[in-house]
Amino acid sequence: MDFIQEGFSQAIALLVNRDPATYSAISTTLRASTMAMAASLLLGIPLGYLLGYFDFRLKRQLRIIVDTLLSLPTVFIGLVIYALLTRNGPFGEMGLIFSIPGIAMGQAILALPIVVALTATAVEAADRNLPVALMSLGANRRQIAVSTLWEVRLGILAAAVTATGRVLTEVGISLMVGGNIKWHTRTITTAIALETGKGEFGTGIALGLVLLLIALTVNISLAWLRRKN
Amino acid sequence: MYLYQIRDTDHFYGDKQVLSIENLAIPSASITGLIGPNGSGKSTLLKLLSFLEVPSYGTILFQGLKVAPFSNIVRSRITLLPQEPYLLHRSVFDNIAYGLKIRGDTNDLKNRVAEALTLVGLEPEHFVRRKSQALSGGEAQRVALAARLILKPSVLLLDEPTASVDAYSARLIRKASLQAREEWGTTLVVATHDWQWLYETCDSVLYLLHGRLFKGGLGCAVYGPWRIGSEGLLLKELHDGQILFAPKPEEGKQMAVLDPSRLKMTLPGMDDLQQENRRMLNGFVIRLFLERNGATVQTAIKVAELVITIRLDRSKVEMLRLFPGKKVRVLYDPQEIEWF
Repeated sequence: MDFIQEGFSQAIALLVNRDPATYSAISTTLRASTMAMAASLLLGIPLGYLLGYFDFRLKRQLRIIVDTLLSLPTVFIGLVIYALLTRNGPFGEMGLIFSIPGIAMGQAILALPIVVALTATAVEAADRNLPVALMSLGANRRQIAVSTLWEVRLGILAAAVTATGRVLTEVGISLMVGGNIKWHTRTITTAIALETGKGEFGTGIALGLVLLLIALTVNISLAWLRRKN
Repeated sequence: MYLYQIRDTDHFYGDKQVLSIENLAIPSASITGLIGPNGSGKSTLLKLLSFLEVPSYGTILFQGLKVAPFSNIVRSRITLLPQEPYLLHRSVFDNIAYGLKIRGDTNDLKNRVAEALTLVGLEPEHFVRRKSQALSGGEAQRVALAARLILKPSVLLLDEPTASVDAYSARLIRKASLQAREEWGTTLVVATHDWQWLYETCDSVLYLLHGRLFKGGLGCAVYGPWRIGSEGLLLKELHDGQILFAPKPEEGKQMAVLDPSRLKMTLPGMDDLQQENRRMLNGFVIRLFLERNGATVQTAIKVAELVITIRLDRSKVEMLRLFPGKKVRVLYDPQEIEWF
């Protein structure tokens, strides 16, 4: 049990002493997840609106596919992205393998179904009188979309929180696409996996606590936004 | 000049026909009342008039033009206050200013919002910062109306605007709507059961029944179960044991309607059953309402579970000395009962 206590002390020491390796992993984690979340929100919110607002043929089938993608295994995404970005792959020339944008691509794919599905659910759950109210006040189609999304902003916030949590804590994509290269693509989760593999439980726990701290900060910020609304 | 012209228009939801209007014209700057039982198509007609929906068949002309949903003329000139108006999860100010903001018309918003609030009887300083969720039902309804009045619309369509508000709010909503007509020449179409709206305020009243305009007045709908009786008639036993007779319907028709223009009302002992085939129902007056013309009185008579509303000359009401509670008889010819 000593190593748990040691982990706590080490976590504080790593943060207070600004351990370069730890801060490099934190920076990589934040950079990759920020890129991934930006891409998934930019793409996922409009797609979620379309899926939730409109009735069209094959909507139910599409919804089932999106819901299925919620449980995509990270190692599978890692494998596919690796195959696409590797030097011999179709997008190998882009040089994204073992890079932070490469990791972000995979994480965006992980987050996208979450954002789409939860945004669609939020839009579907909006008051049925909302579209009539907006149209009767003279809103055009774009204004209806923007106003509807603003009305269900708490649902979208929940989607963002859920997706951020998944992106921050995944290890499969970061490991396979990033390659866990120290100072370069090593994220907190891949560092934990490495340290634990080496028997350095204390460091592993310390990095785990740092990850929790980041998640806590993100959630406190979002909770503040939620309360403000 | 007619603002709206509707001809041979049918509207369906799935396979179900919800509206069928052969001919209807609504003049500019008029107030038109719509009345009919639930499901008679009032809200659907208002949605078509607001061009939120397009009729399945036929066309609705607005100022003689075919217009489409989301067209500039629709978005800038026609507005609908739905039965359950939705307020955005924002402040009262933002709700009322919404329509102007999306038009890019943001001049002097503060004063214009205050004016709109005053028009519906809400004090701007108390309400402008309030969250929409913190409003009572009547206040929310008035804020929703203010959000439409601030647009100074050419057409204001109101769907049961006073159905779920207190008498004070109802009075203010009516006053504000009428002011819109007086100040900006706004055409009003109001679906309501409020007799004050219908018979004191409206220039004309349209009776809707089963999606169709009913010319005879406020038809009294009677639903089954029916029994087969003698003389080829159907019998409906009312809750108090009285029997209503009706002819057999065509296949698929389920609702019998007593056309008030074909009914007669007398007092017990003064029955005029000489006309062949007349039958009678006993009831009592529950409401009298003098119409705007001052010459006719809408008289509601309760017959068991039915409420039959007949328009009587004022002189007849005076002669019969009618008052709420007075026992009366309604005479009808079963063959004149229509099926829908």
